[in-house]
Amino acid sequence: MPDRSKCLSQWREGRTELENEVIDQLLTGRLDRRSFLRHGSRVGLSLALMGGVLQGLGLAPIGRAFAQAKQGGTIRLAQITPSGAIEPVSVADQGGLLPLQQAGDFLVMDGPDLVLRPMLATSWKPNEDGSVWTFTLRDGVKFHDGRVMTADDVVASIDRLADPANGSNALSAFKGVLSKGGTTKVDDKTVRFSLDAPNGNFPYYVSSDNYNAIILPADYKGDFEKTFNGTGPFRMVSYTPKVGASFVRNPDYWAGPALAEKLELSFYADQQPQVLALLGGQVDMIQQVVVQGSQSLFDNPAVKILRLKSNAHRQIHMKNTGPFADKRVRQAMALTLDRPAIVKGLFRGMADLGNDSPFAPVFPSTDTTIPQRGKDIAKAKELMAAAGMSGGFDVTLTTMQLQELPAIASLIRNAAAEIGVKVTLKLEDVGAYYGDAVPGKSDWLDSQFGITDYGHRGTPNVFLAAPLLSTGTWNSAEFKNPGYDKLVASYIAALDPAAQKAQAGAIQKLLLDETPIIFPYFYDYLTATSATLQGVEGTAMGQMFLHKAGFA
Amino acid sequence: MSEGMPLADPAVPMAAAPAGREEKGRGVAGLLLRSPAFLLGAAILLFWTACALFAPSFVPYDPFADDLLNTLQPPSAEHWFGTDQLGRDVFSRVLVGARDILTIAPLATIVGTVAGTAIGLITGYFGGWVDAVIGRLLEVMLSLPLIIVALLVLVALGPSTPTVVVVVGLVFAPLVARTVRAAVLTERHLDYVAAAAVRGEGAPYIMIAEILPNILPPIIVEGTVRLGYAIFTIASLSFLGFGVQPPSPDWGLSIAENYGVLVGGFWWTVVFDTAATASLIVGVNLVAESLQRALAE
Repeated sequence: MPDRSKCLSQWREGRTELENEVIDQLLTGRLDRRSFLRHGSRVGLSLALMGGVLQGLGLAPIGRAFAQAKQGGTIRLAQITPSGAIEPVSVADQGGLLPLQQAGDFLVMDGPDLVLRPMLATSWKPNEDGSVWTFTLRDGVKFHDGRVMTADDVVASIDRLADPANGSNALSAFKGVLSKGGTTKVDDKTVRFSLDAPNGNFPYYVSSDNYNAIILPADYKGDFEKTFNGTGPFRMVSYTPKVGASFVRNPDYWAGPALAEKLELSFYADQQPQVLALLGGQVDMIQQVVVQGSQSLFDNPAVKILRLKSNAHRQIHMKNTGPFADKRVRQAMALTLDRPAIVKGLFRGMADLGNDSPFAPVFPSTDTTIPQRGKDIAKAKELMAAAGMSGGFDVTLTTMQLQELPAIASLIRNAAAEIGVKVTLKLEDVGAYYGDAVPGKSDWLDSQFGITDYGHRGTPNVFLAAPLLSTGTWNSAEFKNPGYDKLVASYIAALDPAAQKAQAGAIQKLLLDETPIIFPYFYDYLTATSATLQGVEGTAMGQMFLHKAGFA
Repeated sequence: MSEGMPLADPAVPMAAAPAGREEKGRGVAGLLLRSPAFLLGAAILLFWTACALFAPSFVPYDPFADDLLNTLQPPSAEHWFGTDQLGRDVFSRVLVGARDILTIAPLATIVGTVAGTAIGLITGYFGGWVDAVIGRLLEVMLSLPLIIVALLVLVALGPSTPTVVVVVGLVFAPLVARTVRAAVLTERHLDYVAAAAVRGEGAPYIMIAEILPNILPPIIVEGTVRLGYAIFTIASLSFLGFGVQPPSPDWGLSIAENYGVLVGGFWWTVVFDTAATASLIVGVNLVAESLQRALAE
């Protein structure tokens, strides 16, 4: 064991109180190695310092060792067809965000391990209460057209997303966090974000998690598809909407040129042809595979599955009307599901159990001491009887034709039948389910009982707000609980990890008791590559960082 | 106007026609019973009808019961046709799966045949501008692919069993109408029609009581042919997610739910439903063809 007190004073020197708090929590064992890295990167501790601290404590250092791949070659990537234009402001789907991120960079990268890493910003610091964050930018970053990136470009890029007039997809994240005009230039290499309210997780909002937030030139005219002009590791050579795009490596990339010489993206409408293309050697990797339908890849020695823990999930909402107005009925419904069997049977174990709150095990702030809800038909029947519903009731479950959703709907129907609830299924195509996404014109928001899919996020903030706050715009359950609203506000404002965890625990308990929404599982993000492709770093958002990817 | 029509005795043609039909009916039945194709088709139909009616009481497993710890098991002594993605017994599901299609397809065929016959009678009987206007409208409908029209309507109205029945019935109506109109055109100039008109019967009476009985054979044949197509169309709609709703073991729906895992080698989740659909369509077509031949002879 090294001389801890000597190290301690070294590490503490020049650190803010918040940063020292994170270090202290590691020292006292309240944070494990992984949580330390996540929280440390969030409050702005450099990776070098965190590496030193870990080494000093005899813990595993940072970063996974990749076998060095060879220079050159073409990476052929299969992905789902982008649903609209590749336009940084409006992209809202997994198909669109991948091409975007090959040509553009974020201020911060939220890596596969949810540890924030410097990208176009080299460091970041909050003020005392987390309401103002200051980011220092990297020197010598060039756009593909040769111009040097400055603070003006960053201010313009983020302001463009925060401006309601542009209708950006990032508004769902920035609402109540960062408004137009909140981003200001301090000097050419420093940008300051003055937030609407204190936010301990702000660096995630300008990281790759907010996939719209790639930095573009200040004079960007909305014509990204023509040039793909960003600062990213690959430059666009050609792009054909609905077909694909090809790129060459950017020789001037700030982190050095990528290993692979070329990158080709092919767009597919469906998973099956992608699986066949990988098996047939026409592509080297598939952005995302879901367990259902890609079974042939899992036991195949020519294929590698990159498995990322994620918080992507399905929400089963129960609207606060009719029989569901009684929380005992909602609890009873949640008690009918055999979650471990679902994870094993439908996901081959590649999912985490949900505990009826958005706090997935993958979030560092999740309180893992809250008891897991399991299947308990006897208790469910008791609750139904106490609610005067022992005779059961009829209800329609509305959801989409998407991946495993029809299967889950069938399972819910069978499970509910065990407590006398007769569930009729109504499956629609995705467009019909979401409708106009406003109450009165959307089965998603209007249905009494429905299943909705939610993609992975860096923090649980959006999951906590939109579907559950009294003012939430996606509140299908019509859940209105002032106590909950207050807890969420203090969770979002909490800066230090202990405070975040305490608030998270309180929220988890409240949601477990109220059960407006069943969160049955959080499924892993799976990427398939050929066995010879190395160095691919994905995120559970669907981004594929290929700068260090190449063939063995 | 034909000459020599026994105007004074309106009962003559009316009495003669049924007698002729009865005789012909006995002949048709004899021909059919001697036709191996008909017997095979009828046997297949009977088998699936029996399954639809009684399978739920004799299948080895509850076709809806999931078993998540035994998903995608290959065919075995325990599960003859294996299990699907939710661990449900495919054998039980295939047998019970006949129920939805054999309810919806005949209902849709009846809707289509009744509507088509009505339209065909009106256009064929009245002719002139009525025929021209309705005829053009029908041609417009026929120029669009059936499945696309059905999909459009189902997207607009939302999928449900009654909607599927009505939609498939209505997209088939123009096809039936075309056949019926042609048959009416050959009948309307015959003497018994003129006689009825002279007797002062109204158009509806002439169409329904006079012409319709005489054009029943082509309508029956058309109806059986449509039944085959209805099975096919409904299975396609279910496959596309616009037909029968889960967790029904309906064949088209089961194929849709499971075809994604085919690449993984789990053929049993799809093959048996496909074979069942194919056998039912072949059965109906054998019956239809035999009927057509027998009625033509």
